[in-house]
Amino acid sequence: MKSLDTFRSGLRSDDAPSSDALARGLGWFSLARGAAEVAIPRLLARGIGIEPSPVTSLVTRLMGARELAAGVAVLLNPRSPLPLWARVAGDAFDLALLGLASTRRTSGLRLAGAIAAVGGVTALDIVASIKAQRKAVHPNRPVMFSVTINKPTNEVYARFRDFARLPEVMDYLERVTVDGKRSHWVAKPFGGTRTVAWDAELTEDIPGRVIAWQVVDSLISGRVTFATAPGSEATEVRVEIEVGKGHAGIAKWFAKSQVKGDLRRFKQVLETGEVLLSDATVTRKPHPAQPSEPEVIAKNPHVTNNRSPVEVQP
Amino acid sequence: MRATCWMGKQKVSVERVPDPQILNARDAIVRVTATTICGSDLHLYNGYMPTMQKGDILGHEFMGEVVEVGKGVKNLEPGDRVVVPFCIACGNCEQCTLGNTSACENSNPTPWLPEKLMGHATCGAFGYSHLTGGFAGGQAEYVRVPYADFGPMKVLKALTDEQVLFLSDIFPTGYMGAELCDLTPKKVVAVWGAGPVGQFAIASAKLLGAERIIAIDRFPYRLKLAAEKAGATDVINYEEQPVQEVLRDLTAGRGPDACIDAVGLEAHGHGLQYAHDSTKQKLKLQMDRPLAVREAIMALRSAGIVSILGVYAGFVDKFPLGTVMNRGITIRTGQCSVHRYMKPLLERIEQGEIDPSFVVSHQLNLDDAAHGYDMFMHKQDDVMKIVMRA
Repeated sequence: MKSLDTFRSGLRSDDAPSSDALARGLGWFSLARGAAEVAIPRLLARGIGIEPSPVTSLVTRLMGARELAAGVAVLLNPRSPLPLWARVAGDAFDLALLGLASTRRTSGLRLAGAIAAVGGVTALDIVASIKAQRKAVHPNRPVMFSVTINKPTNEVYARFRDFARLPEVMDYLERVTVDGKRSHWVAKPFGGTRTVAWDAELTEDIPGRVIAWQVVDSLISGRVTFATAPGSEATEVRVEIEVGKGHAGIAKWFAKSQVKGDLRRFKQVLETGEVLLSDATVTRKPHPAQPSEPEVIAKNPHVTNNRSPVEVQP
Repeated sequence: MRATCWMGKQKVSVERVPDPQILNARDAIVRVTATTICGSDLHLYNGYMPTMQKGDILGHEFMGEVVEVGKGVKNLEPGDRVVVPFCIACGNCEQCTLGNTSACENSNPTPWLPEKLMGHATCGAFGYSHLTGGFAGGQAEYVRVPYADFGPMKVLKALTDEQVLFLSDIFPTGYMGAELCDLTPKKVVAVWGAGPVGQFAIASAKLLGAERIIAIDRFPYRLKLAAEKAGATDVINYEEQPVQEVLRDLTAGRGPDACIDAVGLEAHGHGLQYAHDSTKQKLKLQMDRPLAVREAIMALRSAGIVSILGVYAGFVDKFPLGTVMNRGITIRTGQCSVHRYMKPLLERIEQGEIDPSFVVSHQLNLDDAAHGYDMFMHKQDDVMKIVMRA
């Protein structure tokens, strides 16, 4: 797992400003070329050795419109791979058209030059696309969240390390059973009835500092670090969930949407002894700020009235 | 129970809703004996505060009698008479332990809404939109009070409801506004807005020893109350007098040492500036009309303090940051951390230094809440502060 320090620094190597310079250059090139194709199609046709006709003008103008759109798309988000791949597809189409032209039109030398130029740009487009693609699907960028809890590190660590009690703050967990370094997790995600279960293996455990685990037979792993906050007794808790290739879709989305709320509830339970509800949040669906009927309230697992309250240390 | 519900822009009605029940161990249920309509409720009423939902119970200033407590509440029992702070605070997080209860990190169960609008979450509050957690308010027969072992303050029967009710919000808020001005004897302070919060800012400035207190408003009856009861030494009716010039004259060209904005996002005024702000606000291009705070900044003495009590929701335009920077102006503001002011101010009331009931102008039945809102908004019948009882 990648070290947390990599993410502390604001400037990550793969986010360095120079990395999208090529994409930006290609975006501006698209705009310039598209503008020329729309404005002066006949002149361009002659330039690449094709006899202008109404058909070639129309085709060139359409190509120009496509180039303008591609340029805007690339410049709006130079790190996104999709607009760049669209450019590659456009290049292939251009090359095919030029190949078609070479079978029937004049001035082979100029046309060959045009094909070489488009070929060069295509190569650059492919390079830029692959670069952007690599960054976008970088499997090692973990989901990260952090929170500061007004309790000493040892206490926060100990509460987290007590995996069997995590379902109190993580709504979707049914239960967690611990057997040495192994733990068995049963969850009901998305408030549904379907149960998902997995085993996790503790990979690192430094009291008061780090807990890390690997989900058995998967590429999902997690790591929590605890550190004393500057100038206080509070604890900074940072959670990284890493979801490897193959699981990148739903698991990562689930982790992202859950971890933040989990940490907030974890903080609440440690600091105040309970997960606070409001009239609006006692139900799953949007609800105005007015009391619900008792039978609706009874469905919420966090309603503590019927449970023995957690003692809060002042 | 009956409760005052927000039903849409400028529409409130008293509806039958389910009774509140204990949701968390640290909750209490309070039977409301007196509640009021706050100037900031008008921002909700007029639809300027985002995230309101039809059916939201309004009201964040209330007091009452404890009728039920959760298992985690040891300091209260049924029958206790309590005043409840409008802001909800846990008492355990770092901000609460520092006394900044209005910045409580745990009391807002819907933090993702203010995080989007304001960068970080605000505290929870009663009856004040879903930005502050979606808690039912106190303009009702009963209300659920979270963290009841930390927030509510017990008060003795010797004092009337009207004397202690305003400890829930406007007295501490006005007091904080004066306190933020670093007032010492011989200082001059100007207060924009002579509504209930402005009256308490003026009264508090007097308690803290300011030499000259200038009240600014457009309603003669409000200015009269400020001068006769709250303790203003001078008053300016901005519809009749040029505020900047009068302030300049009163301070021999210096400007007040401190200015308090007790107006907020629905400031009135005239001329191009007012037309600009109200048009932009109507078009949803800006959320607030910051006329009062702009004027306060321009009038202030160099290196002075502007204390903002008026509620603002989001983003403002034409903010005179150049003046703030070049003349070394300090801006201090915040939702009042009521918890830390309640006890010391209760002592001042008990010792007879101030009687907050001077702002009360009307007594209504809760069933007439809609009439109360309408009257308060249109400033009819010389309305100052409306106390409602179920």
